Amino acid sequence: MNAVKRTSGVGVRTPLIDGIEKVRGTAKYTADLAPEGALVGRIFRSPYAHAEILSIDLSAARALPGVIAVISGEECKTPYGIVPITQNEYPLARTRVRYLGEPVAAVAAIDEATAEKALELIRLEVRELPSCYTAADARKPDAVLLHDNRPGNLEREVSNSFGDVEAGFAAADLVREEVFHCAEVTHVHIEPHAALADYDPVRGQLTFQSVSQVPYYVHLMLAQCLGMETSRIRIIKPFIGGGFGARSETLNFELVCALLARAAGGRVRMVLSREETFLTHRGRPAADVRIKLGLSRGGRITAVEAEMTQLGGAYGGYGIITILYAGALLNAIYDIPAVRYSGYRVYSNTPPCGAMRGHGTVDMRYAFETLLNRMAAELGLDAFAVRRANLLSTPMVTINGLQVTSCGLPQALDWVEAGSRWRERKGKLPKGRGLGLGCSHFVSGAAKAVQWTGEPDATVNIKLDFDGNVTVFTGATEIGQGSSTVVAQVAAEVLGLDYSRICVLAKDSAVTPKDNGSYSSRVTYMVGNATLAAAEKLQQRLLATAARKLGAEPAQVEFHGEEYRLAGSDKPGIAYIDVVKEALVGHGTITERGIFVVPREFQGGKHRGAAVGSTMGFSYAATVVEVSVDEGTGEIVVEDIWVSHDTGFAINPLAVEGQVQGAIWMGMGQALMEETNFRDGLHMHTSMLDYKVPTILDSPNIHTHIVESIDPNGPFGAKEASEGGIAGIMPALTQAVAEATGVDFNETPLTPDRIVEALRKARRREAIRNKPVRDSAGARGQ
Amino acid sequence: MNLLPVFDMAEPVTAEQAIALKSAHPLARYLAGGTDLIPNLRRGLGAPDVLISLAKIPEFRQFEASGDSLVIGAGVNIAELATSDLLRKSYPAISMAAASIAGPAHRGMATVGGNLCLDTRCVFYNQSKWWRAANNFCLKQDGDTCHVVKKGNKCVAAYSGDLAPALMVLGAEVEIASTAGRRRRSLAGIFREDGQAWLDLEPADLVVAVHIPARPGVRSGYFKSRIRQSMDFPLAGVAAAMNCEGVNILSLAVAITGTNSRPVQLEGLQALTGGPLSDRLLDELGKNISRTIQPMRTTLAPSLYRRHMAGVLAERLVTQLYRDGACNQRSKP
Repeated sequence: MNAVKRTSGVGVRTPLIDGIEKVRGTAKYTADLAPEGALVGRIFRSPYAHAEILSIDLSAARALPGVIAVISGEECKTPYGIVPITQNEYPLARTRVRYLGEPVAAVAAIDEATAEKALELIRLEVRELPSCYTAADARKPDAVLLHDNRPGNLEREVSNSFGDVEAGFAAADLVREEVFHCAEVTHVHIEPHAALADYDPVRGQLTFQSVSQVPYYVHLMLAQCLGMETSRIRIIKPFIGGGFGARSETLNFELVCALLARAAGGRVRMVLSREETFLTHRGRPAADVRIKLGLSRGGRITAVEAEMTQLGGAYGGYGIITILYAGALLNAIYDIPAVRYSGYRVYSNTPPCGAMRGHGTVDMRYAFETLLNRMAAELGLDAFAVRRANLLSTPMVTINGLQVTSCGLPQALDWVEAGSRWRERKGKLPKGRGLGLGCSHFVSGAAKAVQWTGEPDATVNIKLDFDGNVTVFTGATEIGQGSSTVVAQVAAEVLGLDYSRICVLAKDSAVTPKDNGSYSSRVTYMVGNATLAAAEKLQQRLLATAARKLGAEPAQVEFHGEEYRLAGSDKPGIAYIDVVKEALVGHGTITERGIFVVPREFQGGKHRGAAVGSTMGFSYAATVVEVSVDEGTGEIVVEDIWVSHDTGFAINPLAVEGQVQGAIWMGMGQALMEETNFRDGLHMHTSMLDYKVPTILDSPNIHTHIVESIDPNGPFGAKEASEGGIAGIMPALTQAVAEATGVDFNETPLTPDRIVEALRKARRREAIRNKPVRDSAGARGQ
Repeated sequence: MNLLPVFDMAEPVTAEQAIALKSAHPLARYLAGGTDLIPNLRRGLGAPDVLISLAKIPEFRQFEASGDSLVIGAGVNIAELATSDLLRKSYPAISMAAASIAGPAHRGMATVGGNLCLDTRCVFYNQSKWWRAANNFCLKQDGDTCHVVKKGNKCVAAYSGDLAPALMVLGAEVEIASTAGRRRRSLAGIFREDGQAWLDLEPADLVVAVHIPARPGVRSGYFKSRIRQSMDFPLAGVAAAMNCEGVNILSLAVAITGTNSRPVQLEGLQALTGGPLSDRLLDELGKNISRTIQPMRTTLAPSLYRRHMAGVLAERLVTQLYRDGACNQRSKP
């Protein structure tokens, strides 16, 4: 049997099962859904960064022929937000607007031209308020407060300490402290935001479709903001063109679209422009990091002290979680005895930030790894040696209560070191060229869901019917990352079937079990495990049936593709389809259920906010970047990137490679060119021309390697694949640029103008320092 | 990107018909590839009642070399230029400039005429109507303040076409059809240092073709500064053409785009020629550029960097053109 090349199941390079529709252009995304009679929904956005709303006059817009509904903040008096304790945002602003572009009113009209005309007829009268666009301004004692119950404009101040930090620094042979700044960045999923809401006024039911990564959370927020029972709402999930975290919470336009549909008593379709998609934002906040490390002469980390300030934008959103992640994941990558963390999540009059690939960890990891690289060099240690001096041994529990059960970082380091020929080349490259190393990690699903219910972390139903085909029902959101394919592979593996027999339905709250959605890299781990459990139950049934037919015990039966037979026997077995038919006799269609529950001990320590960062499986990555820098133009060419990612076990090696490469590419964008700036609160990068995502011509050769550490609890040992790799790029690239130019950079992105300016300053400093100094008598100094 | 304004579409088959239409509909706009016009219209930058498509005018598609000149119709698309062997061999500045424009999909649509007449750009102008309204509009469109030069009364939006400098250093002329008939002008002559009215043409005037004199022995090139290797408009773009005899430079032309409201050709370079390439020549070239260009804060990248890059790219391009030639000289027996 082994001679036959496996074409289905886990470990097989499998093109995404929904890829054909995408390649052929037949996949229906939300904006492709244009049912008859759908009204056009449009949002009136605030032209003020911060203002008290005095009045909104909707009468002229309402009077325009063809306008069916016009709504304002009066339509919904219930705030919403992803974190239950910090819900302070309304679908349409009430009493105050807090950023330029915030939704204030909305119209539903018979066509786009009418909707646009109606927007122009809306009159907003305000009293403008002072605004804060930087963390420093927002934290000034006399700064205007964005939210009256948030003194100091602080959404959350985190302060915790584990281990004996003072003793750690006292024991260190080298202590260094530096500050870093990372610009705000955003996801730029290719598909702009869109939603389709269908309100049935007779039944009082809402059917809703959108681009969400988290249809269940959208379901909850729609119920909350529309004041409806969840039972009156149905969420259907079309094809989704990416998310990267942008859509991992309910977004204002989704709620507005549904509110409009109810007000209009019909269907409303809302397709946001790219500009509106940028304004909806929820990206990675601008970060100021101060970090201090203590190292022994041998490179052992003795203590860490870090302070993170995130400019979070106008509303809570994921803010608390982001600021907690930044501190929690200082741990669980190296063996560190003492960590002190202070985090400040600051409100500002800019679009709200949110979750983005590598949630909360990327900018902190950049600062940590960059300082570690510099201190290693100062101690005369190699960048690899200093990592190896601090490796974790598993299983272990970190000082902040995180469980680490598998860690393939050692193997990942070995591979990138060899692949990049680091030992032969580091420090010996020609001028203008450099190598750098960065390591990173991430959770495979948050151990505690953001909306805690006590339900299992994942539930999957599996159905077997008369035709022998298997349908897997899951609420997991396929957003292009390959989650449906992983589910199909797991089911195919357990049942020994070809993909042609497996159908994955991941689309409809009326059909599929509830799932928390695609965020925190939870799907492969949690939904994969639930699928495994469901498929195994079904397999037990089939084995029992086959055993009965064969007159044997289930343990004696084995299956090979479409045949069940007695183990070790040459006798012909029973065809799979006949086993199925037999199993259905007297029973009918078989449905099995699989669940996955994260045990309590994995949900972090006991301190406040301890659940954030906790997971059952950490992925690890090591990344080496090679650059060449043109000192004349300041242009950095990323020549090669070697990345080795510990994904536990690659259920779909093809998709794992794609995800790892995607993470590398996204990290490279943040390192080199992506940034979001505001002028007087106005977003300056609201197009893909002005927000610089790298093009394929800017992409290096990416050498991808997968480490399989076989996690004890992951499905077949699998862990996450898409987020762990992103945070290593910025520090690796920064170290490479330092080698190429002789200049240390403490900010991102490293745009060519910043490089030129820094080199100019460095040359000037050098010239000043190297100039011989004459003493007062005019004689040459000695 | 919002809804396009409502407009009629006209598809004349001769330049003269197009001009007559434009004269009859003063608010009309000419439409070539549309890669710049259509996004601008979606942003509410103008609301023409008629779009006059130039796609069906056969004359616009001409692309031929005769003995003493090369004629490129205004409707030839950028991809054709970028892939032309003739241009790559004999007019590399044009070839390099074309290949650097936007991305492959744009190049397949965008045209020579469209790129030459490209609207000037500014971070405060190329924005949606909502954005511009929130910013109290600007001098160039719908408003009376300049956000780049406080209290400024002249628009400083940057000309960002890549082809113009390349054609200018090759001595190109444009053929213009107008209500008064056909005429030819030097390409440099159709531009003005005014971000709001950057073309010195009558409203109905139509660029029909570009004529480039054949100059055997002239080497040329185009270097472009941008953040990404594709899609981006030039932060600064430098074209140069050089003719040498032996080790001596006989003629040198340099033109720069992206830094002013027009593509600017450096003046007074002839004084630097006659001898071999020297540090003095490059120093003088740098000073000339410093005097001539005036990048303003119209892009997200700092204007100081654009100024720096114009100098660096010019020095590199001139040096490379000289060396290419010098190598040829040496390789002769």
